[in-house]
Amino acid sequence: MITVFRREWMAYFRTPVGYVFIGVFTALSGVIFYLSNLSTLSGELLIFLSQLTLLVMLLTPVLTMRLLCEERQRRTDQLLLTSPVSLTRIVLGKYLAAAAVMGVAIGLTNVCTLILALYGTVYPGEWFVGYLGFTLQSMGFLALDLLVSGFMKNQVPAAIAAFAANFLLWMVDLLADKVSVAWMSDALRFLSLYDRYEPFILGQLSFASLLFFLLLIGMCLLATVRVMDARRFSQGGAA
Amino acid sequence: MIEVQGVSKRYGSVQALRDVTLRAPEGKVLGLLGQNGAGKTTLLNIITGYLAPTSGRVLINGRDPLLEPEPAKRELGYLPEHPPLYDEMTVEEYLRFVAALKQVKAGSIPGHVREIMGKTGLTEMRERLLGHLSKGYRQRAGFAQALCGDPDVLVLDEPTVGLDPKQITEIRALIQKLSAGKTILFSSHMLGEVRQLCDHVVILHRGAVRLDAPIGELGGRDGVTLLCTLQGGERRLVAAMNHLDGVRSVAVQPGGGEDEVRLRLSFGHAATPEKQVFTLCSALNAPILRMTRGEDDLEQVFLQAISE
Ligand SMILES: Nc1ncnc2c1ncn2[C@@H]1O[C@H](COP(=O)(O)OP(=O)(O)OP(=O)(O)O)[C@@H](O)[C@H]1O
Ligand SMILES: [Mg+2]
Repeated sequence: MITVFRREWMAYFRTPVGYVFIGVFTALSGVIFYLSNLSTLSGELLIFLSQLTLLVMLLTPVLTMRLLCEERQRRTDQLLLTSPVSLTRIVLGKYLAAAAVMGVAIGLTNVCTLILALYGTVYPGEWFVGYLGFTLQSMGFLALDLLVSGFMKNQVPAAIAAFAANFLLWMVDLLADKVSVAWMSDALRFLSLYDRYEPFILGQLSFASLLFFLLLIGMCLLATVRVMDARRFSQGGAA
Repeated sequence: MIEVQGVSKRYGSVQALRDVTLRAPEGKVLGLLGQNGAGKTTLLNIITGYLAPTSGRVLINGRDPLLEPEPAKRELGYLPEHPPLYDEMTVEEYLRFVAALKQVKAGSIPGHVREIMGKTGLTEMRERLLGHLSKGYRQRAGFAQALCGDPDVLVLDEPTVGLDPKQITEIRALIQKLSAGKTILFSSHMLGEVRQLCDHVVILHRGAVRLDAPIGELGGRDGVTLLCTLQGGERRLVAAMNHLDGVRSVAVQPGGGEDEVRLRLSFGHAATPEKQVFTLCSALNAPILRMTRGEDDLEQVFLQAISE
């Protein structure tokens, strides 16, 4: 697992993907910071974080699209899948590498926190809860996108499909409002990543939401393993 | 040891393998021959656990790679049809990565990788990015990758495809050198290669095994084939030839001209087949127009095996 992680991490920074992701993420988060805080002279860290979700949603597919599809395109999956490493470890190693790159990007947004702290007050508790929620949500998107890309053969469709999935889960609560069947709207609301994130933005540590995100990540990774396993039976990458 | 038991594979409507059974015993080199699309790659992908068979099973040293993936795959080195290389890594980084995947102890990885690079002639290329290597060197890197972790069982899919003649000779010599104590299964559509390297040949045609025999029984190595064009009555000549010392078969070949007979004579142990034929023909007063030694018995065997 560590072997896979190390290689993926290295691959992110040998190819432009890692730099581009972190660069674009940081630059755009600066823009968002300007719009949400500086231009309105607001000292609210949580407002900034809530706006950042859009960025995460938009950019995580870039990190995940190559993890599985590129292996299949270059047929390097033949090496991984015939090595004495379980699928679970392969998926976990890859996920953690993407999560680490995301972690760096998230870490860098703390420059904005620092500016807020210099010119106003940022409460440590608020900072902790906000970032915890934000990080969990980002990692949730990452796991979801990894699963989506597991179904796809090519990188670009994988990225588009992942973006669509992100968008859907984000918007699902708006859909829930329009659905009049009670259980359906409840179910939709349950899935909404926005609803789950909300308590954190309000500065509340919600254990239900915490659990939801962790479960979401776990389920997506597990499903990714199953999808890859099933592919052995359905077809081959050889043709 | 590799055992394949009644393996079939369907890709949607394409039946790629039909009830394939074969065995590659320990310490032997098994050649898998077949035309394009015969199912060689599919079979090797199944043996290595990359694909699952539709029915049947595979055992690597007694373990099924689908049921006990880790112990089964630890014994296995696989060179797929397209070498699985990460273009953004250097040769050495890549081989260290593979060695770690194959669970070589961290401390012995550098030495292990150095040794493999030496064997496969990659030492000078160690700092190069894999994406910048020529096709022949990519193939070598693929080969080197299969050797990482010193597996007992090597599965090689057309290991010499795309190499220049010198490299082909080198890779073949390497296979020969490695064959001591290892089980090697490789696919090929080059007959000469199979004859040179293998102890045993399996011919695959349209997904089914058509022939499974030790190479010694196919002739070619210890036997001799003569292709003769003679003048005279066909029946009389064939009958007479059948009485030569050590003759195994006499076959009439098409394409003889007017009043000419083309014969293919296969001898087992005879030391001087040409002399015998010459003596016989002068006794029969049948002029020999041409006589050559045919080395390629395997070709004959192959064509016959896939012709039915
Ligand atoms: N992923 C796939 N999906 C559908 N059909 C496939 C797939 N892979 C292979 N086939 C088909 O299965 C058959 C066997 O293919 P395979 O690649 O095993 O042949 P091969 O013997 O390796 O040929 P070659 O000498 O060209 O490498 C072919 O008819 C091929 O078209
Ligand atoms: Mg093939």
